[in-house]
Amino acid sequence: MAADSPSTVRDGFGTVSRTAGVVFRYALLAATLLGILAVGILFVYVANDAIQPFTADPGWHLTFFLTLVVPTLAVGYSLSGRGEGSLRVGLESLGLLAVMPLFAGGVAVLFLSILPALVVFSFAVALAIPLAAIVALQRTRQVGFVAKLVAAAVVTVASLLFVPNFIQNVPVIPVEWLLVALTIGAPTAAIAGAYAAASWNDRRVGRIAALAALGGVLVGGLVGSLTGVGGIAATVLATVAGVPVGLYVATVVDQHPTRREGLLLPLVVLGGMLLGAFLVRTVGFAGPASWLDWAFVTSDNSFSAESAGIYPALAGSIMLMLIVSLASFPIGIGAAVYLEEYAGNSRLTRLIEVNIANLAGVPSVVYGLLGLGLLARMLEDGLPVFPAVVADPLGLEPIRVGGDLFGIGTVFVGGLTLSLLILPIVIISSQEAIRSVPPSQRQASYGMGATRWQTVKNVVLPKAFPGILTGTILALGRAIGETAPLLVIGAPNEFGIPQELSSRVGAMPLQIYAWATTSGTEEFYTKVIPAGVVVLLVAMLAMNSVAIVLRNRYRQRN
Amino acid sequence: MKSEDTTSQAVEEQEDMSDPTDDDMLIQTDVSDSVSAGSSTVTDTVVEAKDINVWYDDDQALHDISLAIPERQVTAMIGPSGCGKSTFLRCINRMNDLIDAARVDGELYLGDKNVYDADVDPVALRRRVGMVFQKPNPFPKSIRENVLYGLKVQGIDADYDKVVEESLRKAALWDEVKDRLDESGLELSGGQQQRLCIARAIAPDPEVILMDEPASALDPIATSQIEDLIADLAEQYTVVIVTHNMQQAARISDKTAVFLTGGELVEFDDTQKIFENPESERVEDYITGKFG
Ligand SMILES: Nc1ncnc2c1ncn2[C@@H]1O[C@H](COP(=O)(O)OP(=O)(O)OP(=O)(O)O)[C@@H](O)[C@H]1O
Ligand SMILES: [Mg+2]
Repeated sequence: MAADSPSTVRDGFGTVSRTAGVVFRYALLAATLLGILAVGILFVYVANDAIQPFTADPGWHLTFFLTLVVPTLAVGYSLSGRGEGSLRVGLESLGLLAVMPLFAGGVAVLFLSILPALVVFSFAVALAIPLAAIVALQRTRQVGFVAKLVAAAVVTVASLLFVPNFIQNVPVIPVEWLLVALTIGAPTAAIAGAYAAASWNDRRVGRIAALAALGGVLVGGLVGSLTGVGGIAATVLATVAGVPVGLYVATVVDQHPTRREGLLLPLVVLGGMLLGAFLVRTVGFAGPASWLDWAFVTSDNSFSAESAGIYPALAGSIMLMLIVSLASFPIGIGAAVYLEEYAGNSRLTRLIEVNIANLAGVPSVVYGLLGLGLLARMLEDGLPVFPAVVADPLGLEPIRVGGDLFGIGTVFVGGLTLSLLILPIVIISSQEAIRSVPPSQRQASYGMGATRWQTVKNVVLPKAFPGILTGTILALGRAIGETAPLLVIGAPNEFGIPQELSSRVGAMPLQIYAWATTSGTEEFYTKVIPAGVVVLLVAMLAMNSVAIVLRNRYRQRN
Repeated sequence: MKSEDTTSQAVEEQEDMSDPTDDDMLIQTDVSDSVSAGSSTVTDTVVEAKDINVWYDDDQALHDISLAIPERQVTAMIGPSGCGKSTFLRCINRMNDLIDAARVDGELYLGDKNVYDADVDPVALRRRVGMVFQKPNPFPKSIRENVLYGLKVQGIDADYDKVVEESLRKAALWDEVKDRLDESGLELSGGQQQRLCIARAIAPDPEVILMDEPASALDPIATSQIEDLIADLAEQYTVVIVTHNMQQAARISDKTAVFLTGGELVEFDDTQKIFENPESERVEDYITGKFG
């Protein structure tokens, strides 16, 4: 053998057949493309109907091509050649600029149409007081755990009982946008400060960042209230979009000087859009006769296609998502933590886990029936705090609370039904995230003499949290598109903006369904419904983008 | 660093604060009392195993292990891979409790108290017995927070800056990290991570320190630093160390236990005797490299 090998090498190594491998590879590629292509075609089709780009002047297209598309591509190309992650910075900042205003819009809808600023503010204060008390209690060492628990509970209940009423009856009330700025701007500024302090490793920077964020929010609100934008809208925009974008830009400029050029990309896009709009207006090129426009998003529904808008449905969806996340987050994560960290590997837990997995696959109509039977019918008169079974023999009046919340087709019941629907998904994905925390981390903690609770709190949850959040947000994305459960619990075909938890439920998919069934004219089919679908998909994709960003960050850190 | 009393008090206080329904919390027993009682009497055995058997499901990993680990000395455990050294180490601080498949039978005394008695709280036990694992496992927290983890969960009040510096110095890591204590412990190299884990284990001042091959990921310089550290630690603490390195065992330990395949303790004696004149032929073969 040894004597042969030199001659073999001189003749080359020969080849190994890969035919089967190549065929397999292209079969896989075809399968992948088929799925993506189908969805892509649907998107293009719907978007074409909603926006009607071909109704625009060719000059309009040309103008935007020259001012927006060409410079963007050029900058993107030069950035990608530069390496060092500047293209990534460009895309990230562009994504942030595209998505954060959408969230700002959602929050603004909440404050403008659903929740009065004063009420929210009063409840925010009522929650902040017990939170501060709990933090203070944790610092003290003299009192025992039970005493702390009791004290925290008393403060929470007292604060929720008295503070909102008190604040709502204070005779002098600052302007509304200032209340909004305090309610959401102050916590956002605090978070921004904490983030900055952590990423710059300097408390002073953190304090400056927090002050700058708060200042920015206040200035934004002031400018908004003086101009036509409106104080509340401007405050929300500054808080939800301005602060994160500012923080991102500051981080890039100060900590990654080599990637600074990436920030050029959003500037070019913004500049191109403004320039294009200006040119188009001066020359007089007509834009596309898009059905999806500002008026569609902000006006009420109507029987005529021309004036039909999606605003009430949008507000309803936002309200539903609020209820769903408040309900499914704590319950789902709690169940997951229990199953993973506390429950042993007994037959019972395995049975429960199998059942949860099955529940995740139960059709949504069935959840609708559950909502109808349990929440809408059985609890119609409210939660039996002191049930009739006990009360009657004693000759007392039974007590039920929340009678107006439950009942056919209320937002509250809709939100809870959707929560039930996504609960199994939330539990399963949270379990997965918790399971992915390496056992060696838990061992390290137990080995240091930590109790189970300390291990869960200090080691498991912090590490699993991004994963839990990702799964939960993706589950929310499923909830926002559900129609069937809402129909089954008795959702009406026409609805206004849900002002209270007891209002009749409304949501975007429901609105689209209503348009398709009751107002099914040609106009509705070819224009209104596609526009509604685009709004729904944009809302869903915006939520999912948060999950995707979180997941990427999480992966990088590991 | 601090007196016996504050520590045990802190243990109790911490129990109070933590979840009362925690199932780790068996009936309250102060292991520390018995340990101090044990060490103040003439016996200078601090850990004594009597007929310890361990099963993983149906596979027996340890057979009738009996040995007495002397106080304030270094005891080395050597033996081929898979012979149960780590398993035995985990018996001492009841880390085997956390493995579903594991079942431990027998008695293991820490001082005068059998740690497998029903009234022993394993959490309180682990606060007296520190552990360094075979693979470095720092938390994804800052270096400082890693070192302070034990103090924080055990509710020990101390001058944190001083503890961080002292522990990192003892673990021969201080000079490398003193300027970046707020960076994540995961950003360190493997060897540095292991030294961080050692610093973390000694920070809350345990009585017994269990080390599972602490030097397997270290370069020769860091290894000799760790060996010096172990020698220093033995003045204050009882150190039990698993190692695959015969020379290391010979250099640093006072007593050596030789485990052989199948989970048997073949010989346990003074290190000098084991390496110069072992009773058993199998041990001699293993030490001279004829097998294992
Ligand atoms: N968690 C576990 N589940 C099941 N079996 C285990 C587990 N841990 C260890 N074992 C088994 O117990 C035996 C002893 O393992 P142990 O880890 O104690 O060996 P070791 O002496 O520490 O080996 P090494 O020197 O390679 O670390 C091995 O046969 C191993 O397969
Ligand atoms: Mg081992």
